[in-house]
Amino acid sequence: MHALTSTAYIPLSHAEIEQALLDSLVELPESPESVADRLVSLHATGPDSLRVTVEVLSPAFELPLLARLSSAYAHYMRMDAFDQQEQIKVAIVRAKQRVERTLKVSQARFKEVFESSALGIAITDFDGRCVEANDTLAEIVGLESGAELIGRQLIDYFHPEDKAALAASYRQVREGRVERFRDQRKLIREDEEPVWVYLAASLLPDADDEPTHHVTMVEDISELHLLQRNLDHQLLHDSMTGLSNRQHFVTQVERRLGNDPITLYHLGLDAFSVVNIGLGHETGDKLLKIVASRLRKLAEEKKAVVARLGGDEFALMTISDHVTTTVEEIQATLAEATFVDDHGIALSASIGVVDRPPAFATAAELMRCANAALRQAKARGKRQWALHDPHDDARRRGKYALAASMPGAWEHGELEIVYAPVHDLETREVLGAVARLHWDDLSHNDTMALADSTGLSLPIGKWLLREACAQAARWVDEFGDRAPTLHIALGALQSRDEDLVADVKRALDETGLPVERLRIALDISSVLAGDDNAVVLHDSGIVTALDGFHGGHDELAVLTDVPVRTVITRAPAPTPDSPLRQAMRDLITTVHSLGVRFGVDEVHTPADADQWRSVGADAVIGLLPALSAAEVTELLTTAASPPPAVS
Amino acid sequence: MSERVSWVPEGLDTGKPSAARLYDYLLGGGHNFAADRALAEKFLQAQPNARTIARLNRAFLRRAVLFMMDQGIRQFLDLGSGIPTVGNVHEIAQKADPEAHVVYVDFEEVAVAHSQLILEEDPRATIIQEDMTKPQAVLKAAEESGLIDFAQPVGVLTVGVFHFVPPEADPHAVLAAYRDAVPDGSYLAFSQFTQDLQPEEMAGIVEVMKKSQNPMFPRTKSEIAGLFDGFDVVEPGIVPLPLWRPEGQNVDDPDKAGIYAAVGRKV
Repeated sequence: MHALTSTAYIPLSHAEIEQALLDSLVELPESPESVADRLVSLHATGPDSLRVTVEVLSPAFELPLLARLSSAYAHYMRMDAFDQQEQIKVAIVRAKQRVERTLKVSQARFKEVFESSALGIAITDFDGRCVEANDTLAEIVGLESGAELIGRQLIDYFHPEDKAALAASYRQVREGRVERFRDQRKLIREDEEPVWVYLAASLLPDADDEPTHHVTMVEDISELHLLQRNLDHQLLHDSMTGLSNRQHFVTQVERRLGNDPITLYHLGLDAFSVVNIGLGHETGDKLLKIVASRLRKLAEEKKAVVARLGGDEFALMTISDHVTTTVEEIQATLAEATFVDDHGIALSASIGVVDRPPAFATAAELMRCANAALRQAKARGKRQWALHDPHDDARRRGKYALAASMPGAWEHGELEIVYAPVHDLETREVLGAVARLHWDDLSHNDTMALADSTGLSLPIGKWLLREACAQAARWVDEFGDRAPTLHIALGALQSRDEDLVADVKRALDETGLPVERLRIALDISSVLAGDDNAVVLHDSGIVTALDGFHGGHDELAVLTDVPVRTVITRAPAPTPDSPLRQAMRDLITTVHSLGVRFGVDEVHTPADADQWRSVGADAVIGLLPALSAAEVTELLTTAASPPPAVS
Repeated sequence: MSERVSWVPEGLDTGKPSAARLYDYLLGGGHNFAADRALAEKFLQAQPNARTIARLNRAFLRRAVLFMMDQGIRQFLDLGSGIPTVGNVHEIAQKADPEAHVVYVDFEEVAVAHSQLILEEDPRATIIQEDMTKPQAVLKAAEESGLIDFAQPVGVLTVGVFHFVPPEADPHAVLAAYRDAVPDGSYLAFSQFTQDLQPEEMAGIVEVMKKSQNPMFPRTKSEIAGLFDGFDVVEPGIVPLPLWRPEGQNVDDPDKAGIYAAVGRKV
C-alpha cells in the first residue's frame, strides 16, 4: 500500500485504502478490468502507480492477467483524462463566457457612463488625437456629436495661452510623474466663444497594463461662472426690471464720459403714484416692468444704455443725438396703449436732459444735473422735458441745500411761528391772526414747500397747530375777548391727513383754546380729492376755510356740498382797468350766493385792499407784517383798545 | 491574484500558465494545458520532489480538515482553493458529515468556472470569485453566500497559497482580518513553501515562478509563526508537511517536503 500511496495522492484514510486494495486482490483473478477501474477511480494514477502495482503483483499473478490489468488501466486512464479534459474545456468555455459577459456588461457600463455622463470625456492617443469622445464633450465645444471629434486634436480646443502648459501636464501624466492632473482652463468653442472647464486627465492602460491613451474629463463650469456672473449681475442690476441699476449706470457714464459726446435723459413717470395708490403696488410693478422692456428695446435700437435709477425713475444715455427726436421717441414708446390687469393706463414721462456735458464733469455731477432738470420739467406739468440749465441749477441747488438743512434747523428751534393779522374789509377791524412759519428769509409758503420736499411738512404742521393753539389760549387767558381768533392754514398733506381731526381736537383739549377761537383753512386740493376732513371738522364745530381757491367749476361745485365758512384766494388785485375785474366780481357774487365768504391772501397795500373791497371781497391777509408771539402780546398789552385798525 | 486596476476585466488566456493548473498537473490531474505542463517541467527540474510535495500538501489539507471536523468545525472557508482536483475540501468534510458547509475562494477564472461545475449540485458548497488578499470583500461575499455563520467557529484554510502573497500585500494583516472575523474556537490551517528546507531547490522554484503570473515568496518558520498571531498553534507546531499529525507510519522524507504546515486555534 505504501508503495502505491507514495506514487499518487489518494484522498482516503489508510484503512480505507487498505480495504480497497484487499477488495481488489479478491476481485483481480475474475476481473482485472474492474480492478483497473477501481485504481483509476481511487486516483492511483501517478506516473509510477502502474509500475509499482505490477511489481507488487507479478510474483503472485500470471502475466496474461497483469497484461489485461495494464491494458484496462491504460484505457481507464485515457477515459479519466478525457473526462478531465472535457471538464476543463467546459470550465474554460464557461469562464470565457463569463469573462465576455462581464466584459460586455463592463463595456455597456462604460458606454453608459461615457454617453450619459455630465462630464465631457475624450480618449486621446499620445499624438493628442481623439479616439473617442462623448456627446457631452461635443456639446461643450459646440459640436453636435462626439463622433465629430474623432480624429480631431483635443488641444485645438484649448485656449492658445493654455496650450503649452497643458501639453506639459499631459507629458507629465504620460511619463508617470503624476497620476493625473486637474486644472481649471478655458476652452475655445467652435463658435470661438470661450467656455470655462475643469480638466482632469489621466492615463488609460491597455489590457497588458501598458499606457496607450490619455483620458480627459471635461466639466463645463461656465454655469458656475454664470452664477458668479449672476451675483455680479445682481449687484449691478435692478432685480425687478433687470435693467442696470444706478451704480452700474454711473459706471457706464464714467466709462463713456470723455470719449464720446453723450446725452443723459433722466425720466420720471408722470402720475405713477396714482397707479400705485389707485391700482395697487402689484399693478405698479407690472407697469414698471413694461416700461423697462420698452425702454430696453428703444435703447437697443439707439445703441443707448438704459437703467432704472429707482422708484419710477429711469435713465438713458445716448451718444449725442438730436435731443427732441429722442425725447419724442421716449414719449412715443411710453404712450403705446398699456394694459395691466385689465386697466388701460396712459403713460408719459417728465424728462430732464443733460446734453453734451463738458468732459471734465464727473458722472455724479451729471446725474445730479439731470435730476435737477427732471424736477424742473415736472414742475411744468406732465409730459414735459427740460434741458439742464447751469444757472437755474445753481439757484435750485441753493434751495435744496436749504431744504436739506431744514430738519436740523427745526430740531434746533430755528423755525419760528409768526402771526399775520386778518382784516375785515368792511369794518377794517382785525378779525384774527394767521399763524405762519418763519425761517431765515423765507416766506410761509416757501417754508412749507421746502418742508414738503423734505417730508417734514406733516410733523411741522402738527407742531404749528399745537404751538399756535397754546399761544392763542394764553392770549385768551390774558386778554379775554380782545385776544385774536387763531387762523391756521394747513399744507396740502396735512389737510388730507387722516389724523387731522384728532390732532385738532387734541390741540384744543390740551391747550384749553375754545373751539370758536380757531379757524382752520384746508388746502382746497384735499376737498377736491374727496377728503372729508372739512366735513368732520365742521361737524365738530370748527369753522373751516378752503385755501387756494381759483374759482374753477369743480371748486364752486364743492362749495355746494362742503360746509365751509370762507374761501381764500391769491390773485393780483382787480384794478378798474383789468378786464377780469367784472369776472372777479361775478365770482365773488357766486361764492357769496353759496353762503361762503371770500378772503384774499398776500394783499400788502391798502390800495389793493380797496380794490378787493370794491369787487366784494370780505377779508384780506398781509396788510401788516407778521409779528412774533411776543410782539403780539406786547401790542395787546399796550393797546387800550382792539389791535390797530388799518387807517 | 494579480492586482490589476483597469476598466477592462482580466481576460482569459490559456496560453499563460497558472499556478492552480500547475498544481493540478503535479497531482496527476488532467485539468491543465501545454503552457502549464511546460512550466511544471521547469518546476520539476528545480525541485524534482515537486510531485511528492504536491501530494503531501494535498494530504495535509485532508488531515487538517478532518482534524477540524474532530474539533467540531462544520463550516470551512478555503482561501485560494484553485482547481478542484482529487480530495476537495467539501468531499472530505461532507464524507465525515454531510451537513458540513464549504465556501471556496479563488480569483482565477478557470478555477472558478471549474469549481462551479463541480459544485453545481451541492447546496452546501460554493465558490466565490474574490481576491483572498482582500479580506473585507471575501468576508462580505462569504456572509452573503449564506453558507457561513460567523457566529459559529469557522475553519479557515490557506493551504499552499500564502507563498503567492507578496510582502507588500501585508499577509499578516490579511490573516488578522480573517482572524478577527471569526469567533474564538475557530481554526486556521496553513501551509506554504519555505527556504528553511532545501534552500537551493527553493531558490530554483522562486526563479522559475518569478516570470509567471504567480511569483512565489517562501517564508521562514519564524515568519510563519508571526502569521499565527492570535492563534494557538496546535501540536506538533509548524513542521514539514509529512510531520503534521501523520496517519500511520510515515515514509516520506520531511527534509524534502519543501513546505511547512501548521494549524492554529483562535483564542
